[in-house]
Amino acid sequence: MDKIWGKKPRKSDKKKKGTSNYAYAVTRVRAMKSKLLPKETYPRLMNMGVDEITRFIQESEYKNDIDELAMKYSGADLAEHALNRNLALTYAKLLLITAGEPNYLISEYLRRYDIWNIKTLLRGKQYNASLEEILETLISAGELTYTTLSELAAMESYEEIIEALNETDYYPLLQEEYDGTNLAYIENELDKMYYSGLFGVIGKPRSKDRKLFARFIKLEVDAKNMGTLFRLKKAGVEQLDEIMPLMIEGGLELNTEKLASLPYEEFVEALRKTRYWDAISGVMVPDMDSLTGLECRLLKFSLESATTYSHVSPISIVPIMDYIIYKNNEVNNLRIIFRGKEAGLEDELIKDQLVVI
Amino acid sequence: MVAGEAVMMSGPILDAAGMKALGAALAITVTGLASAWAEKEIGTAAIGAMAENEGLFGKGLILTVIPETIVIFGLVASLLINSA
Repeated sequence: MDKIWGKKPRKSDKKKKGTSNYAYAVTRVRAMKSKLLPKETYPRLMNMGVDEITRFIQESEYKNDIDELAMKYSGADLAEHALNRNLALTYAKLLLITAGEPNYLISEYLRRYDIWNIKTLLRGKQYNASLEEILETLISAGELTYTTLSELAAMESYEEIIEALNETDYYPLLQEEYDGTNLAYIENELDKMYYSGLFGVIGKPRSKDRKLFARFIKLEVDAKNMGTLFRLKKAGVEQLDEIMPLMIEGGLELNTEKLASLPYEEFVEALRKTRYWDAISGVMVPDMDSLTGLECRLLKFSLESATTYSHVSPISIVPIMDYIIYKNNEVNNLRIIFRGKEAGLEDELIKDQLVVI
Repeated sequence: MVAGEAVMMSGPILDAAGMKALGAALAITVTGLASAWAEKEIGTAAIGAMAENEGLFGKGLILTVIPETIVIFGLVASLLINSA
């Protein structure tokens, strides 16, 4: 297994060398952002079928990915693979065009895809998904390469996968805690591990870069916690000792301990005082039956605030992070359209899921 | 002692002509460094933009040479100092 690990394990991962050279990286990233699909495109895509959309994005940044994968896959599967491949390559490109501090921070941020992939693999094995189904959802944007991931996906059982991951930071947790059934718990622990790792990397932020990066992550943690809290409150979970293990520490504004103890109405009332209220107030109706609207609003809020901050600090890591989440959002939107169209969902339903800015 | 006396006898180290020459040299050196630094920043940004979109070559080129004016002002200043 050693030879397929391109990089050394995290403990020996020193801070990357080199100067930041923001002028180059930021301008290039801004030029890349200008190539993302404009919002006017989405209504047009909604009127097309799966093959038409594939052809449409083939004329954009996804050309190479679709060309190369068209021999192997077709229909929505082709689109899914092409989108994932494009996302992974785009993020790899970001790592290539940056150096020094931003490179280090981005590579740490992209570890989320390693977590995503490990979760996918374990979930796939638990529900006996086919190799093809697992491969479809893997995004090799983190440290684990696509080759490694497909080897892992081809393994028979989750024990083998965990054993193969013995060089990673996730191994102790997976090996000690995972028994093949407690997937929800493990997923949550992996998320917590990711964020605590990220905050560990940022340390006590001294440079402007790390401060901005930390703020970015904290905002994300708040959004995640808020989603979890809503879900739990809606399900009637009120016990503090049940809620707190599911919370991620280090948010920007939300005091999770205080919010967790409140009943639903008071919880919503407490959110009124936060900066997130303006963004979410539109979907805060008394009989809210779905969290999709809320999650879309929160995502929109984080995208918009990233853009605002990227204008406030133009020569910093923020425009790069801004691009990372916009690109991810574009890929998600396209995936929703493809899958929605394939499943024959109504246009209105698909539209509600899209986050378009 | 002998060297010290020689200096004392030949007057100050920098006379008016020397000061002029030094002023002119400073004018061109500092502005040269300043425009080099500015062009480096703009040049790398322009290269970044051009790597993604070749159509930006013209704009990038123009923006990159704008700081050249700094050193031209320095050159003018140093010529004026010398000719005064």
